[in-house]
Amino acid sequence: MVERMVDLLARELKMDPVDVRRKNLIPPFMDGYQVATGLTYDTGNYEGALAKALEMAGYEKLRKQQKEMRAKGEYLGIGLCTYAEICGLGPSQVAGAVGFGGGLWESAIVRFHPSGKVNVMVGISPHGQGEETTFAQIVANELGVGVDDVEITHGDTEKTPMGWGTYGSRGTAVGSGALMGAIAKIKDKAKTLTAHLLEASVDDIEYADGKFFVKGSPSKSKSIQDVALMANVAWNMPKGLEPGLEASSFFDPPNFVYPFGAHIAVVKVDAETGEIALQRYIAVDDCGKVINPMIVAGQIHGGIAQGIGQALWEEAVYDDDGQLLSGSMMDYAVPKAAFFPKFELAMTETLTTVNPLGVKGIGETGTIASTPAVYNAVADALAPLGVKTINMPLTPERVWRAIREARS
Amino acid sequence: MFAAEFEYHRPKTVAEAVKLLRKVKGSRPLAGGHSLLPAMKLRLASPAALIDISRIAELSGIKSTKDGLKIGAMTTHAAIAASAVVRKHCPVLAETAGIIGDLQVRNRGTIGGSVAHADPGADYPTILLLLDARFTAVNGKERQIAAEKFFVDLFTTSLKHGELLSSVTIPSMSSGASAVYLKHRHPASSFAVVGVAALVQVKKGKCADVRIAIGGVTVTPVRAKAAEKLLTGQAPTPENIARAADAVSDAIENPLGDPYASGEFRVHLASVMTKRALIQVTG
Ligand SMILES: Cc1cc2nc3c(=O)[nH]c(=O)nc-3n(C[C@H](O)[C@H](O)[C@H](O)COP(=O)(O)OP(=O)(O)OC[C@H]3O[C@@H](n4cnc5c(N)ncnc54)[C@H](O)[C@@H]3O)c2cc1C
Repeated sequence: MVERMVDLLARELKMDPVDVRRKNLIPPFMDGYQVATGLTYDTGNYEGALAKALEMAGYEKLRKQQKEMRAKGEYLGIGLCTYAEICGLGPSQVAGAVGFGGGLWESAIVRFHPSGKVNVMVGISPHGQGEETTFAQIVANELGVGVDDVEITHGDTEKTPMGWGTYGSRGTAVGSGALMGAIAKIKDKAKTLTAHLLEASVDDIEYADGKFFVKGSPSKSKSIQDVALMANVAWNMPKGLEPGLEASSFFDPPNFVYPFGAHIAVVKVDAETGEIALQRYIAVDDCGKVINPMIVAGQIHGGIAQGIGQALWEEAVYDDDGQLLSGSMMDYAVPKAAFFPKFELAMTETLTTVNPLGVKGIGETGTIASTPAVYNAVADALAPLGVKTINMPLTPERVWRAIREARS
Repeated sequence: MFAAEFEYHRPKTVAEAVKLLRKVKGSRPLAGGHSLLPAMKLRLASPAALIDISRIAELSGIKSTKDGLKIGAMTTHAAIAASAVVRKHCPVLAETAGIIGDLQVRNRGTIGGSVAHADPGADYPTILLLLDARFTAVNGKERQIAAEKFFVDLFTTSLKHGELLSSVTIPSMSSGASAVYLKHRHPASSFAVVGVAALVQVKKGKCADVRIAIGGVTVTPVRAKAAEKLLTGQAPTPENIARAADAVSDAIENPLGDPYASGEFRVHLASVMTKRALIQVTG
């Protein structure tokens, strides 16, 4: 809606839609920005993402090409979307205030075995988003163990702690907060035990790459696996320190996170048949710290496909009696891989201050940006014909009728 | 959904199959199953018995004969698309076979099943009508049916109950003739919303043997006779082609419509696609 309005405004003002957006984007901020609606965005660099997307697209060149093609009666369209999304739900207090029937925190248990292997039980339960991998990488990276030494358990409520679900792009944004809390507790306890074993003061113990060592004399050190073994056998514990190396943590985020980005779609519209050919799709997204680039790209790919599906193909059609006419996969068009050009992706990394790792959500950004980007591209292509609005999905017949109406 | 209960027979020869079709009440041939099985699952069809003809060796294969290409009913779309013989003698048929559905459909679906099913969105009926194909039916003895007589109505052919389609024969195209099949694909099913086939022989700058077949728009594919006539003997200029393409609508009565494309839009597409097809075959 907003993205359509911005484009319509640009057309009214006879301005380039990029310039209208540039004038209205919030300048870069790293420590909260309160917007007119009362929400405080965490961090953002919207112009940075837009500039990168424009550069990747070769925007000026595309506009030139569009002009040349129009002169030949061909309709190329360039569509933009700059978005900021509210996700990583959210402070539980907000959940209570808005009447949501639950909390919005997450939990994790990290258990370091004497063998050096790590079991992690998380309350959040991914269903295809790949957090088994993402979480294992976080634990491996933070505790200096191999990623194969980490086992993530989720969704088995006999074993796992409470969680509030994977949605609102909150899995990693909130779940990693709990994970990092438990990891910090593990490290703290390991430090105390190391100090005792090395007969040093806790304040002098430092940690790096899976090793605890005495400040200034790195040869006096213990690997984290050694410490885990000593904690588990408990042959020589300092007074007051319980055996074992296990921690549980709950994380209630202080705010939402606000990922953002800029997407550009390039389409060619056949004005005779109303068919739309997607030529290019450029996506620059910022989800804060990127943990696994391939998983992030996968989330973006799927999101883009789904969002474009809404713009171009997917529709539940009912007749006047309420009978569903698009009731089978032979009638209801879900997007298929062959419908798309290769997506051109890039990231910018603006960390959030809301959680320890600086991660924002990425699960939904593609669906948010791609529907308006493609719609704007089609509208841009048809601008010289006077077409302003077409109902979604933009099927060939709807496009053809809109052109016919605008012409008559 | 599950299909209603049915008997299953798997004959090894055409003679056996024909006998079973005659003998077993409510029986129906099963070829690739890509149209029949979905229909059974939706309970749009509930044959009492299936006569699976997929293991009858004599029903598949492609031969170049003096009458043209003879293609066995059980020959799959994929086999036709990949056939060197078809590519040589009738490239447009191989191209058409290659854009049916998706790979799975092309690997299972057969030319016999497609034409016997006579789906208005199917691709073969349109191209076979264009190419003046002949259909061979067996039931004890053989009979030949011309394409113009074969497709009778929505999902209805002139095959009689108990008759098995054994092969399709495509006469050779006159030398110098060029043909093309254009398809507006449904984004969900892949079937043709509109399929346009055109054939033209340009002789000394004039169009001869002009044929235009339109599928997807009406219950059976139709030849656009008025349009064909307008272009015959004329030079293939953009004006003449446009005039012929405009006349396509004359051939169309009661166009089909669905939520994706109305009848009016299909007629429009047929005309635009005819124009493009004619430009392609005369260019
Ligand atoms: C997802 C999907 C997409 C598709 N897309 C397309 C497309 O783009 N274009 C297209 O043209 N088709 C398409 N089809 C249909 C496909 O080509 C079918 O395979 C074809 O229509 C039927 O062939 P079959 O061998 O599967 O026949 P079956 O389903 O086995 O049989 C179909 C009918 O023909 C009868 N029959 C079969 N063989 C004979 C015979 N030798 N003699 C007498 N009767 C016979 C059967 O009794 C039945 O009534 C699609 C199908 C699917 C499932």
